[in-house]
This record gives sequence, C-alpha cells and structure tokens, in this order.
Amino acid sequence: MSQILPPDVVLKVDDLSIVYRTDRGDVKATVDVSFELKSGEAMALIGESGSGKTTISLALIRKLPKNAVVTSGEIFYQRNDSVQDVLKLSNRQLREFRWNECAMVFQGAQNAFNPVLKIRKQFEDTAQSHGWTDKAAIRERALSLLQLVRLDPERVYEAYPHELSGGMKQRILLALSVLLSPQVVILDEPTTALDILTQRAIIDVLNDMQRQLNFSIIFISHDLSLAAEMADHVATVYAGQIVELGGVNDIFYHSLHPYTQGLLTSVPTLEHTQDLLQSIPGSPPNLIAPPDGCKFHPRCAFADDACKKDSPPLTVDVGAHLAACWHKDRLIESRKASV
Amino acid sequence: MESRSLNARPVTPGYNKIIDAIRKALKNYTVRVFVQAILTIWAVATLTFLLVREMPGNPIDVLIEQILTQEGISYQEAYDRVAASFNFDPNASVLDLYLDWLTDLLRFDLGTSITSPGTEVIDEIARFLPWTVFAVGMGLLISFVLGIILGMTMAYYRNSFLDHSLSLLSSFMTGVPNYIWGLLIIIVLGIQLNLFNVGELRGTYDISLVPGLNAAFVLSVFKHAALPIATYVIATLGGWMLNMKSSTMGVLNEDYVNVAEARGLKDNRIITSYVGRNAALPLFTQLTIAVGFVLGSGVVIEEIFVYWGIGHYLFQAITVRDYTSMQGVFLILTMAVVFSNLFADLTYGLLDPRVRVSGER
Repeated sequence: MSQILPPDVVLKVDDLSIVYRTDRGDVKATVDVSFELKSGEAMALIGESGSGKTTISLALIRKLPKNAVVTSGEIFYQRNDSVQDVLKLSNRQLREFRWNECAMVFQGAQNAFNPVLKIRKQFEDTAQSHGWTDKAAIRERALSLLQLVRLDPERVYEAYPHELSGGMKQRILLALSVLLSPQVVILDEPTTALDILTQRAIIDVLNDMQRQLNFSIIFISHDLSLAAEMADHVATVYAGQIVELGGVNDIFYHSLHPYTQGLLTSVPTLEHTQDLLQSIPGSPPNLIAPPDGCKFHPRCAFADDACKKDSPPLTVDVGAHLAACWHKDRLIESRKASV
Repeated sequence: MESRSLNARPVTPGYNKIIDAIRKALKNYTVRVFVQAILTIWAVATLTFLLVREMPGNPIDVLIEQILTQEGISYQEAYDRVAASFNFDPNASVLDLYLDWLTDLLRFDLGTSITSPGTEVIDEIARFLPWTVFAVGMGLLISFVLGIILGMTMAYYRNSFLDHSLSLLSSFMTGVPNYIWGLLIIIVLGIQLNLFNVGELRGTYDISLVPGLNAAFVLSVFKHAALPIATYVIATLGGWMLNMKSSTMGVLNEDYVNVAEARGLKDNRIITSYVGRNAALPLFTQLTIAVGFVLGSGVVIEEIFVYWGIGHYLFQAITVRDYTSMQGVFLILTMAVVFSNLFADLTYGLLDPRVRVSGER
C-alpha cells in the first residue's frame, strides 16, 4: 500500500463525497469529509437529523443504500501496520472486514436480531462466518461480554429476541459488536428510544467496555450531553460537511462555528437559566440544491456577502481545532460580550 | 342468605369434580384445539349425512331406472330385484340411520357400501386414499419448494426482466383453474403433440406389474401420477411464488437482515436462516389450507386423468348415490383438512418461537 499512516491512527477518511441518486436529482449527502480516528479514541458526530452523519458512518463499512454513489475520496483502515483502502475491498474482503475490523451498532436495536433464532445462534453465526469453529470458545467469549454489559449471561444467551426488553437487546448488540475484537465500533444513536435510566446504564457499559477492550468509537448522536460525556473529539456535521472538528473541550467551551454554537445554546445546561435557550432559526438546507457559499449562511446571524459567495475552508486556528467559518473572530467577540 | 342460596342448589361433589377436571383440561391449549377439531368434524359429518340424502334420487331409483330402460320389466319387479341386492331401505327414518351411523362411527366403523353389500367402506377408502395422498402430497411439496425458491429469486432480482416475466407467468398460472390445466395437458401434450398415450396412463399403475418395491412398479406409479401431480404443481405454484416474493421483499427491509450483512455473515447463511426462514413462515399456514383445497378439487382432476384415487372413488359413489361411501369419503376429506390445520397449529411454534404457547418451551 502506498499510503503510510501514523502508527496510532486506525481510520483515516480523505475527501469523502457521497451522493444519493434520486428522481429529483442528486442529494449531496456527504461533501469532502476528512478526519482521522486514533486507536482507543472516541469521536462524536453531532448535527441535526438529515445532516449526513449516518451516511458517513455507513460508508465506513460500505453499507450505503443502493442508490448511493461515492463520488470521491478514500477510507484507509490500519491494523498491525498494514493499511487497506476500504472502498477498494473485494466483496469477499469486505465481508471479512465487516464486524472483524469495524462493527456497527445500528439505530434502534429493537429489530436487530433475527426473531426466530436464539441469541446464542446469532453469536455463533457471527463468529463462524469469520472463521471461528470452536463453539465452546465462542460461548466463553460471548458470556464474558454479556457479563460485561451487565446481563445475566446464561439466561440471555439461550433466550429468543422477543423474550428480551429493548434495553437488553441494545446491550446484547453492544456485546455482539465487540465479539470479534474490532478496532472500530460505530454507534448510531446508541441511546435513542431508551428511557433515561437505561440510557445511563448503556453509557456506563460503553465506558467500561472501552476501558477494558480498548477499541475506537465513532458515535452519532444529537444528544450533546452524551457527546460531551463520551467523546474525545467532536465533529459537527452540517449539510453533509464537517464544519467544525476539535477536542471535546474546544467544541463545547470554545466553539468556532455559529452552527455548533447554535446547537449548544439550544440545549439546557446547569449554569444557564431556561430563557437563554435558543433554537436555530430556519431549517436544514435542501441537499439537492444547497445554497452557494457557506451552506449555513441563510440561518446564520453573522452572515454577510462573503458568506454568500465563497464556502469557507476547514482551517486550523489553535492547536488541532478546525472550523469552517469566515467570522470566527466575531463569534468569539459576541460570546465574550454575552457572558 | 348466602348459605341458603348455596343450599338451594345442591350439587353433588362428584359432579363438581368432573366439571373442574374438564375446565382444567380445556385450559391446556392442545386439548382445546383438539376438542375443537373433533367438534368441527362432527358438525361437517352431520351436515354431509343430511345433505347426501337430500340429493335428488336414491341408490335404488338410480339402478331401477337403468334396469327398466335395459330390460323392459315392470317397476315392481325391478324394485324387488334391486332392493334384494342392496343394503338399503328407502323407508327407514333418517334419524335412526343417523344415530346408527354415529354409534358405528365411534367404533371407527364407516359401514358397508349400499350398492355393493359386504364391501366395507373403510377398506375401499384404504385402497384409494393412499394414491391421492401420494399425488396431492407430491404436487404440493414440489410446488411449495419450487415456489419458495422462485419467489425468493424474484424478490432478490426485483424489477428485473426475470422478476417481471415470472410475475406474469405466476399470475397466469394461478388465474387459470386446475381442471382447465388438466384438460390442456391432455389435449395439447397428449393428443396434439402426442407426447404420451393418454389411454395407457389410466389407473394408478400398470396392472400387469406386481406391486412391491421394484423399479418397474415404482416407475409405473410415478408415470401414472405424473400428470395429476403436474396439474397440482402448475395450479398452485404461481400462488406460492407471488406470496413468497412479497413476503421476502418485506423481510429484506427488516433491520435484522441489514445487521446480518453488517456482521459479515456469509451470503448463504443470510439467505437461508435470516431471509428465507422468516419469509417462509406465513406460507406454512397457507400450505395447510392448500392441503384441503387441493384434496377437494382433486376429485375433478382425478376424474380427468382417470387416476384411481379417492376422488375417483367419490365420483363413482355419487353417480350411484352410494350414501355410505359418500359419507365415508367426505368424512375422511374433512378429517384431512381439519387435522392438517390442527397439525399446523400445534407445530407452528417449532418454526416461530414468538407464537410458542406459554408453558411449553
């Protein structure tokens, strides 16, 4: 492989662009997305519904819908100093790559399991498809993982999906996702559709698991508090682009993009009173014909003629904190003024 | 007050115990559906008993008419001769006959034929039924398996040329009734194209052969059953294909199939255990309903191909108004339908754990 990655990088996405071909035109769901994921790191993708977060994550395991086309970009995956371009894997290699290297916990685990097979069978299917043959070894590994997600392993292992609650299924899916020791686990809205207490349990379980098994996490959420708690890095996605990317503290305390700022002021915090909550005016843009220039300008308080004409590049200001905005300085000033 | 009202209706403890035992037994699902099945069979049997007797003509009249036209003797002479050779009294009360028949039935005695006294109906059924079970069973098995495979193929290649042409074909196959298919096969393949000799295929096997497990006999059995089987397959295949296609398309959209692919499962495993098994579930219920339908319509098919199964026997019995034989056949057909439904009811849980009845795992 020509690409050489730093040894601690497991995943590198370069200029990834994806469109959905539809009757009404091409939906530009992902535009020039680039990021790196380091070993053992957790990265959050935040943004409104329909911003393209899920498209990015589906592309990582090449599980995009049939009408999606990757128009440009590369996805590199590194394990033990050997690098693969995920987009160039053959069907066979791709099948082996999935779950073994990169597992995905989909949104809503309610129907993630085959209703007519026991959980045991579904663990065995997964392992056997990836070359495991010893059922006792599979069982041992599965039970220890089920223990890790705080379930009664013996009981759950022999159960049918309909005998389990939603929170239990979500936790089983988490356990299943790390069965083959992947380096990357993608979590798409891991706690949506669960009650507050179960959400809490899932987050604790995730933290435990990551500490013990040391995999990298990409998770998608519009729950900012979850992102703040779990992530090392946060990427804000707007209209298919990453508009801001940085460490979790940078994003939450020193955000440099008005959209991120807008997301943050639309959720209550412990420090501020309720009347300071603001929603972002307007609605997400039409991705078939997105606005010229900065795609956020129709909804942005700082927008001027420059924003309407040219799209701002994703550039570094301090350290590794990137943001795509022409008016970072004005944003910082306005924040200082309001505090 | 209370004690008085209790005393007002003295109930013997033994009677109470029996009621309790019945109540308890009926709580068991298997017992309940079994009792329902028996009641259904009894109701249908009673209805057929009355209906066959309400048909115009009776066994004696039918034969008397034949003799009268052939031999030109007086009506009374003909009546005496026929009545003497028949096991039938046209003046007996229907209620008495019914009660007799019912008590015999409890001993699994279907009585003797009216038109040929001394022939046990149950023996005749035992002689003819296996052939029908063989032909209908083979036909349904082949069309079910083929339908599942083709239906899944259509769903996997939906909107392709293959899908469109198979859809058209299956609609056509279901739309044309099975007796038309039977006639088409005889006329087009047998007579016009002369692919086989229709006359040679009468009966269920070549009577010059000795029944047994030898190649010539088995081959002959299949040869004679081939056309009825082909008819059953053609007439039912389209339905399976269309049902399986829509069922598979539904399952393909399920999350668990998507997740299975993300889990990197082998294609074969996904197609069989994740898509196929779930998509075929609703078809198993339809299969048991089809058993009844095909058995019933088999009467005409067997008559068309002169295949000597239970349908052929029933047809003969109807022609001469042989009440006991008709009742016997109807009873057996009813039992086949009811018990195949019962079987489906009790075994569906093995296929789908979600409908497993609580208490049995």
